[in-house]
Amino acid sequence: MNNNGETVIALLGQPNSGKSTLFNALTGMKQHVGNWPGKTVEKKEGSFVHNGKNYLVADLPGTYSLSANSDEEMITRDYIASGKADVICILADSSQLERSLYMLADYAGITVPCFLVLNMSDVAREQGKTVDASKLEEKLGIPVVSFTATDTRSYDDFYKALEYALGEETVVFADDLEKKYSDLDAYDTIRSAIPDNVIPGYSKMWLAAKAVEGDAPVIARIRNAVSADNVKTLDTALSKVNKGVVATGECKFAWIDELLSDAATNRQSKVSLGKFDRLITHHIWGKPVVVLIVILGLIASFIPALPLMGIGQLIGNIPDPLNETLLAAGCPAFIAAILCDVILRSVAFIVQMLGFVFGVTLVFGLLEEIGVMARISYVFDNTMARFGLQGKSVMPFLISFGCTMGGAAGTRVIDNWGQKVLTIALAWAVPCGAAWAVIPMLSTLFFGAWMPLIIAVILLVMLLHMWITAKVFGRSLVKAEDRYGMIMELPPYHKPKWGALLRYVFGRTKDTFIRALKVVLIVALAFWLLSYTSSGDISASILYKLGRFIEPVTSFFGMRWQTFMAFIASSLGKEGALGVLSTIFTGAGTISVGSVVSGVAADNINELLVANIPKPEALALIFAMTFNMPCIVALAATYQETHSAKWTARIALYYTAVALIIAGIAYRIGLLIW
Amino acid sequence: MKKLSELKKDSVAVIKALGGDQRFMSRITSIGLTPGSTVTVIKNEKNRPLLVYSRDTMIALNRSECEMIEVEAGGRTA
Repeated sequence: MNNNGETVIALLGQPNSGKSTLFNALTGMKQHVGNWPGKTVEKKEGSFVHNGKNYLVADLPGTYSLSANSDEEMITRDYIASGKADVICILADSSQLERSLYMLADYAGITVPCFLVLNMSDVAREQGKTVDASKLEEKLGIPVVSFTATDTRSYDDFYKALEYALGEETVVFADDLEKKYSDLDAYDTIRSAIPDNVIPGYSKMWLAAKAVEGDAPVIARIRNAVSADNVKTLDTALSKVNKGVVATGECKFAWIDELLSDAATNRQSKVSLGKFDRLITHHIWGKPVVVLIVILGLIASFIPALPLMGIGQLIGNIPDPLNETLLAAGCPAFIAAILCDVILRSVAFIVQMLGFVFGVTLVFGLLEEIGVMARISYVFDNTMARFGLQGKSVMPFLISFGCTMGGAAGTRVIDNWGQKVLTIALAWAVPCGAAWAVIPMLSTLFFGAWMPLIIAVILLVMLLHMWITAKVFGRSLVKAEDRYGMIMELPPYHKPKWGALLRYVFGRTKDTFIRALKVVLIVALAFWLLSYTSSGDISASILYKLGRFIEPVTSFFGMRWQTFMAFIASSLGKEGALGVLSTIFTGAGTISVGSVVSGVAADNINELLVANIPKPEALALIFAMTFNMPCIVALAATYQETHSAKWTARIALYYTAVALIIAGIAYRIGLLIW
Repeated sequence: MKKLSELKKDSVAVIKALGGDQRFMSRITSIGLTPGSTVTVIKNEKNRPLLVYSRDTMIALNRSECEMIEVEAGGRTA
């Protein structure tokens, strides 16, 4: 029990064991997502009440084993050893029982109470596989539950097993496993050299097996604890071990085979790929099919998104009449402006974008849950590995052509934190829907028939940008030793659990809303204060003075103060750049967040732009805007997904700098041409 | 003895030995590919991970790493 009087359950399972589905189903919207202290691994906790008792659920990182090869595995082990968990719930996939019981075999020997959940029993039944849970209970000495996430009756069995495991403090009966370990050369010598209580909660058997596997942290702990004589014995024994991890692995699977010999049957004989799997793994059609799925998913995302977008637009209609009403009622202009221009417009902007986040989280969360995402990972593995990423990263990239915030939300299916941050960092380089609305228009305006060429160059620069950015950030985000090739199972398809998924998506959208609101309000207020003038004359604002002051620097990148202001505005929202230029060139009104977000421009904006901006500068502006930070909401979403203010700031500054450099190059090239 | 990546589509083989570094052996063991286990090659095409079936599981494996898995052709279908 923790300090809040909650009983702590930790979920332990391999990726694709249905761990997140169970976690969502148990905790619903009572979830908290953060990072493990000092580690770049996502930490999920949630709570629920059952029979009047409060429970805290810790979703341990999805790992294939309890070895010491990654941060995820170390966190899992340390968490179990910390004694924070009262009981461990181990998950296995009933349809791939033999393989997925490896986690249980690796856990055997740990003395923290546990129970076993055989997930996806519906899929197993459809495949003609049966498991006798009570027989397994008898052999293992822990509660075993046949479980289907979509079946409400399953949860009764789950709670019963949970309460039993807690009450009886059930521990895996592992004597038979140890007999197999004993057949390995050095095992007995190593085991007898180990003193009591080297790591609390871990038995001598577990420690000895890990030592045989060459597990460096365990060996170090044992060496610290044993007497000088025994260190020698230990080291000699260890030096005799060859490929220990393979040897213990054989023992574990032999033990699993015995467990299942009379407890499970398997009728499936011939294996083949289903129709859809044949199509998606096809060497020619695979990639187009994946791109098509993502595009259809993107379109489908708009269906649940539309109502929220509509609400956002309605809110966006309030500020103007409200402003007039307030002014008529004698409210000070300053306060009315903050309320209408800053707060309401920001809320309207976020709510509109939020609809998209909701849709993307729902649709792509669904694709992940039913098993499609693992196939996408397979198809794009080779391509994305060049960036140090997994195949799934292709999906956020494609979504980012529509909306970077949606792309960031889509990265939640990437289970490695470093790869997730890197994916977001690269997705920022993809011009979003707002850029596509502005850039071709500006290009045509200034360069007429050359527009397609400029778009083509933008796409090339995008690829180059992503490649360089992957080099710049990749080294620290995805360590060299983490860049091993794909070793992943393709899970069987299964039905989604809608209730849990929807609760999760609502919770996630709510979190994003709160975070985005904070970030957007702060940035919008700052920008508004900088541009506010009581007279309405732009040249009286701080922004103008700042712009003029650093003009010598920005000119180097091809931008005078007017275009530089547009560039700054485009980091809040791309549409905003036009509103800013319109305000400056017509000399009317202030640059407000309102004009930035709604992109309202004068009717004769086109003539104004052509008359006031020379071609090289226009080219610089086009590239600067395209590759600038996508928008403040994307910034907020990046913070929401990465949980790292440091990385969010780093990426934002990097993008601002790179956009200026690209603009500078475009400008110099422009000067040569015109 | 052959390397797993040399097997053709639909062929069945038994794993004989694993190589590579500690980390690779640990990962490949934990996904169920241990010496003695039977694998069926489902797909083996250039520029794509290899698809094999073993212990009721469809597994995607990076091609270059498959070279560290030694197999002997033949054996019962898994």
